[in-house]
Amino acid sequence: MYGQGLLKGLRISIRHFFKKKVTEMYPEQKPNLPKRSRGWFELTPDKCTACGLCVNACPNGIISIESYKDENNKRKLVQYRMLMESCIFCGFCVEACPQDALYNTQAFEQTVFFREDLNRILYKAEPQSVQAERSEA
Amino acid sequence: MVLFLVWVDMFRQWLVGIGIPALPAEILIKTILVLIVIIFVLTNLIVLVWLERKFAAFYADRVGPNRLGPAGFLQFPVDIVKMLGKEDIIPENVDRPVFKIASICAFLTAIMGWAVIPLGKGMILEDLNVGLLYFIAIGSTGTIAFVMAGFASNNKYALLGGMRTAAQMISYEIPLAFSLLGIVMITGSLSLTEIVDAQKNVWFIFPQILAFFAYFVCSIAETNRGPFDLAEGEQELVAGYFVEYSGIRYALFMVAEYTHLVAVSAIAAVVFLGGWNAPFGLTFIPGFIWMMFKIYLMIFLFMWVRWTFVRVKVEHLMHIGWKFLIPLTLFNIVITGIGVYVYRMIAG
Repeated sequence: MYGQGLLKGLRISIRHFFKKKVTEMYPEQKPNLPKRSRGWFELTPDKCTACGLCVNACPNGIISIESYKDENNKRKLVQYRMLMESCIFCGFCVEACPQDALYNTQAFEQTVFFREDLNRILYKAEPQSVQAERSEA
Repeated sequence: MVLFLVWVDMFRQWLVGIGIPALPAEILIKTILVLIVIIFVLTNLIVLVWLERKFAAFYADRVGPNRLGPAGFLQFPVDIVKMLGKEDIIPENVDRPVFKIASICAFLTAIMGWAVIPLGKGMILEDLNVGLLYFIAIGSTGTIAFVMAGFASNNKYALLGGMRTAAQMISYEIPLAFSLLGIVMITGSLSLTEIVDAQKNVWFIFPQILAFFAYFVCSIAETNRGPFDLAEGEQELVAGYFVEYSGIRYALFMVAEYTHLVAVSAIAAVVFLGGWNAPFGLTFIPGFIWMMFKIYLMIFLFMWVRWTFVRVKVEHLMHIGWKFLIPLTLFNIVITGIGVYVYRMIAG
């Protein structure tokens, strides 16, 4: 019979009419992200040995670290900087980190007003303490 | 709504009482009633624009407007301000008077049909004894506004769009009129009030289901709504007759479309769904409420169809009109005629 397809279409659309909506009310309701989703990066400075593996792993070369050697000939981190505007969130830096010092958070709201704000400094040592330790060495 | 009539009568007597002659008083009353109808139609419009966006969203599993006011209902003042805020561009080589009049004509012809639509017992501007004929005639007149708009725009796309819309509307006028003929044969009257009165016991949708179906399809085409919205295919057909229109003039075409939508829904409610008659003896709810409920039921159907089906091609549209709907409505007229004859024989 002609028109059966039309009736079927109407039935399907009315079912969608009463269905639960898939829209997320975003700013009010934050989405439930999967566990392994990659957002902003965070660093645990105590774990970091300033080995520079993350710098080498980064395909875009956005990570730059400053470090010095202390009296025990151990590298100490002074500053950890990421140029987030070029980041592709591949996660290689997190994978490369032998100490699990660098990790992803789920923070994904990355809009900033100024471009300089994307030049993220994850860690910066206190200038006085660095000066003191350097002079000791 | 006997109460409504009583109010009007009281007002008339008061006017005469303060010394106004009968004719100016009558003119004043009519003006106020016309204004009430126009305000009613525009109020419906506000609801409809919101409803359309909301329904479109619902059929697509979305939520729709929800930022302004409860469930996004206060979206309409924003929409209106946006429309009014746009620049009213009139292209250089258009036929200026026709271009300007066309959008107003579209709205006027859409609203003129409201003169004969009863919203309740006695809630009618002019109870013409040829009400149904008048409505069909006015509905057909709307076509000329689209041709005017397409012609005056001095744009080939607009001209083609206007022609396409005219062809569509004229083709669908015929089965539309034919589908209502069965009702006229049963009631023996063209007056909408009498048609509603004849449906006290059984709504005409039951003996005239074929006519209802034909009327429904035709009125979709008449109001230029999906799936027959060839006048508005922005992506495929450069929108048609109103490409050159902007701002408030464009808005008037939309207003006309929605006014026409409410009008055909009201006619369907009056002619097929029993008008202000209450079903199941639920007479404690006023007739006006029932009428509004039926109108919005029809509008829901229209929107359901619009957001379900894909737009048809223009030759398919013509095929449906000429090769399917006209034979169907003619067949309906024949069996209605036989039915009426047989009924008369039995009833004596």
